[in-house]
Amino acid sequence: MNHSPLPTLRSIAFFFALGLSIIWAPASHARTSIIDDAGTTTLEPTVRLRFESAAPPRGGANNRMVGQTTVRVHLNLAPWLKHSGRIYLALPAQPPGPLTAIWTAEGRLASGQAHSGNRTLIYAGPITTPFLEDVLRFQFMVDGALVRRPFPVTFRFEFDED
Amino acid sequence: MRTHPSARPAARSPRGTAGRSRLADATGLRPRILGAVLLASLSAEASAYTLTLTPASPQTVYLQVGVGSFTKNYNAGGVPGNNTTINVVSTSVAAAAVGNGTAQAMTTDSTAAASNLDGFVFCTVPGQLYIGGFYRTTGATTAAARITATVPASLVNASGSTIPFSSIQWTSSGNGDAGVEVFPGGTFVNGGAQSIGSIASNQWAESCWTFSYLNNTVPAAGTFTGRVLFTLSSP
Repeated sequence: MNHSPLPTLRSIAFFFALGLSIIWAPASHARTSIIDDAGTTTLEPTVRLRFESAAPPRGGANNRMVGQTTVRVHLNLAPWLKHSGRIYLALPAQPPGPLTAIWTAEGRLASGQAHSGNRTLIYAGPITTPFLEDVLRFQFMVDGALVRRPFPVTFRFEFDED
Repeated sequence: MRTHPSARPAARSPRGTAGRSRLADATGLRPRILGAVLLASLSAEASAYTLTLTPASPQTVYLQVGVGSFTKNYNAGGVPGNNTTINVVSTSVAAAAVGNGTAQAMTTDSTAAASNLDGFVFCTVPGQLYIGGFYRTTGATTAAARITATVPASLVNASGSTIPFSSIQWTSSGNGDAGVEVFPGGTFVNGGAQSIGSIASNQWAESCWTFSYLNNTVPAAGTFTGRVLFTLSSP
């Protein structure tokens, strides 16, 4: 039985095109915007770092320094009012090196932690008010071997609209 | 501490539609792109929060020779304190044995047997004297902190007779230790500053010293005393 090769080629072409369309279909990523936190304040803008342990262990394995501060967060969500999305606390990678921030919130935002170069989800859902406020109690942790003098730490709040 | 409190996010378009008409207007493209870049830069700075982290306890040294003070073991959150006790290491030589060259073991009135690091019974009292400490500093590894003993020339009795301090030596060990001790054995010098050992940055170091009197001279009768001062110096 003879078959014309043409239908087969068409089928191959069809499936090939389909495969390409699947591969090249753009992923539906939420667009990330930086939230205006201009009303955010802190009680102690300078965070005093202390060694987690006053004395080092044998072999010097624990050089971690910790410091605490409280930040009153004020986020302007007016651009996304009556929309839904997710709010992240982003801790960019920055000098002097790896840093960890752990925070507890009072309820509007979620408690969590973030490491340098990462962000953590602190809110998901509808934006029903133009401003969102909460108090975050931060603990920062950094390797004392990286610290010689005061240094700035910057974080920001990001919004991914659904 | 806010870096640029005056900038406002109103300059930012969360909808991101501002760029759609740019292609149709090539003549105005460059100024508008520059403007957009400038606004994006400003708003990014305005929407980041900056704190300053300051090392508040950048350097700490602790030296304990004999008894010391910790609020509790370090690994339970203990904090070191000052202890002004001056411990005594002594021996009594029987008249028949004076100067016979047989070293006389010395004992201490120190009760420090357990390490303040973790409570481990590191030394054996009264036969051993605990010596240990730590050097805490920020930043990368630095030169070690050094321990120096300031030694008088002699031990002296009430009538002014002397025994050279070099008549006292010590060996170094510690329960469970193997290899070279961080504060090794030695013999006191006859007056002057004597290096005892060092503590690397962000390390805890400790040893137990067992003293002996060499007993190779015949001094006058009496009680001979002398005080050695140990000093820990960080770079």
